[in-house]
Amino acid sequence: MLIGTAIYALINSFILALMAMGFNLTFGISGVANFAYGAFYVMAAYGAWIFTHKAGLPYGVAVMLSIGLTTMGGALMYRFVLMRVRGQTLSEVIATFGMGLAILELFRYMGFVGFEYTLPNLVEGSVFFLGVYVDYQRLLIVAVGALMVVGLWLFTRFTSLGLAFRGIAQDERTALTFGMDPDRIATIAVAFGAGLAAIAAVVIVPLGTISPEEGYDVLIKALAVCIIGGLGSTGGVIAASFLIGFAERFTDAYIGSHWTMIVSLAAILLVLAVKPSGLFGHQKELEERI
Amino acid sequence: MKRFGGRLSLASVICVAVLGTGVMAWAAEPIVLGVPTSLGFLEGKESLRAVKMAVEEINATGGVMVGDEKRPFAVESLDIRDAAPGVPVPDALLGIEKIILEKKPAALLVGPFRSEALLAAMDLIAKHRVPMLGTIAMSPASEAKIKEKPAKYKYIFRLCLNAKYLVKYLAGSMAFIKERFGFDKVYILNQDVAWARKTAEITTQVYFDKAGWTVVGHEAFPTGTTDFSSALMKVRAKGAQVILPIFDMPQSGILVKQWNGMKVPAVMAGFISPLAGPGAWKTFDEKIGGAVNCNFEMGSAISSEKMEQSVEFLDAYEKRWGEPIQAGHGPAPSYESVYVLKEAIERAGSLAPDAVVEELEKTNRTGVMGQIHFDEGHQAVYDINPKTAAVAAVFQWTSDGGRTLVFPPELAAGEIQLPEGLKPAK
Repeated sequence: MLIGTAIYALINSFILALMAMGFNLTFGISGVANFAYGAFYVMAAYGAWIFTHKAGLPYGVAVMLSIGLTTMGGALMYRFVLMRVRGQTLSEVIATFGMGLAILELFRYMGFVGFEYTLPNLVEGSVFFLGVYVDYQRLLIVAVGALMVVGLWLFTRFTSLGLAFRGIAQDERTALTFGMDPDRIATIAVAFGAGLAAIAAVVIVPLGTISPEEGYDVLIKALAVCIIGGLGSTGGVIAASFLIGFAERFTDAYIGSHWTMIVSLAAILLVLAVKPSGLFGHQKELEERI
Repeated sequence: MKRFGGRLSLASVICVAVLGTGVMAWAAEPIVLGVPTSLGFLEGKESLRAVKMAVEEINATGGVMVGDEKRPFAVESLDIRDAAPGVPVPDALLGIEKIILEKKPAALLVGPFRSEALLAAMDLIAKHRVPMLGTIAMSPASEAKIKEKPAKYKYIFRLCLNAKYLVKYLAGSMAFIKERFGFDKVYILNQDVAWARKTAEITTQVYFDKAGWTVVGHEAFPTGTTDFSSALMKVRAKGAQVILPIFDMPQSGILVKQWNGMKVPAVMAGFISPLAGPGAWKTFDEKIGGAVNCNFEMGSAISSEKMEQSVEFLDAYEKRWGEPIQAGHGPAPSYESVYVLKEAIERAGSLAPDAVVEELEKTNRTGVMGQIHFDEGHQAVYDINPKTAAVAAVFQWTSDGGRTLVFPPELAAGEIQLPEGLKPAK
């Protein structure tokens, strides 16, 4: 039971890391807290479902198309909505939150609610491991999660675009003097974030169903991970994912399922009270801000 | 003068024609049926379709005889969203009052999903004196209120199964499993909503505790949960032989998929709404073989060859809407509710609420779900013989994607089979 819970907690941690990575990337580079993030996640899942079931496309093609279109959706949102309010934090939050609400409620209005909205596993079967059965889809999530972490690390260190991302993230004005276009980089960052949400959706959704509520749930989880880890910190996202992932599964196993949802929210409150910048965040401390 | 007279004649003809048309239109004034429910959910959507289908059938025969004139039915629906997580009960009540005040319905059909919303709406319905034939919400608490104050709450009826009758069916299935396989250890998993909590509680009290079962664990999951792995590990660790699931949320089908993936050595037998219809096999990647599920009413996504009307209803629905019923709760009683109301109005000879209610209480109709009559709490009586009461249906998913009716015994087409790898205890 203990080992089984630990294995599923590890998987849950990778699920959370995948869910939060795109949100964190966007915020870390462009400074935009994309509150439409959960909506992009759900949009990608519905997209794959629609392309498969309504357009009759092969599942692999539907998934790639959905990821591509969601990424494009992120870029368009920045170009036509966020660029106009760039730098006004409250306006950015309201604009992205409004966009997210509009997308999610549009799906609900169009009747996309029901158990039939789910995606098939990308890999079938399960393996007996340390006394517990684990299905291959969950192992795929771990693999994709690990790949994304390593991939992002390599991307931001060994490619010119990745280095530009880091440059903008470190000091936008100085980066500007080196010829980097902050709006171009921010557009790509928001698009990348949306794309990562889409990748997370197509590997995680086969474990559940697609519903507009899932968008709100994913946003809350991504926020919880990023706030606890420290907004913009990749190491923080990984650490916080493991912290919440293990806390959720062990609460579920040893206290009760109905307490699980409270864990993330309680963790946010606790971290905000003790260390407002998050575990690995670099936000200024209160005395510095004053 | 002649010219003026001609014009007068023409005007007279037009007036007579217009008045005549008006009189004819008045003569055919439709009887409005209000359907306030959660239309975004499968059960709500298909229940509304079933109501519309019954209305079309009745209107095709000329309508409803009210006194000495025939009038058609008309349906007005409103999405009150009470089944969606986070929607407060007062919002659902606003929707119900809106449809009553704006559409002036002669009766309300289907109604709220959540018993919490139905209980709160009872005062509203009593105030406006609109008969309501509910077909989704299941808590017996509404019957208790009707029995306590019959003069006030007499307008509310229920045609679907309630939690007490569901317990009877679940207990019947469990008794069958115990007798056939010798299993006596159960783990209860239910959604954390009123009807499911009550069903789990009553089943434990009136059956498991008295029939020699050991409830080795019991967990409630918030609506929207999609990961049941911890609970399934506990099922294995505690040696449960049977899992009793009680869920009506769309995500609950995932529980069976996980049960299959984790190869949990226990029979899954209970109620999971997404498993009810034929489409579940494909939706859940053909991983639900062996699961035993209770559809709340015969005709709601399942039929019996021994009940011809249930077969005809499912065929007619598929022909009318181009796809089969997938909801195991709602469509059949919603369809029947229109006919029950029609017959009551015709017997009353009026649309006066009190007269209609008086006749609804005398209902004695054989239809899709079997024989329908109401008890003193205005609940349709359910049992296992369709000739004397309405019936539900327990079936098992087979490994090739078929569904075998296993309970009630009078209608069974086969017996419960253990999933692969699971051995009987006796």
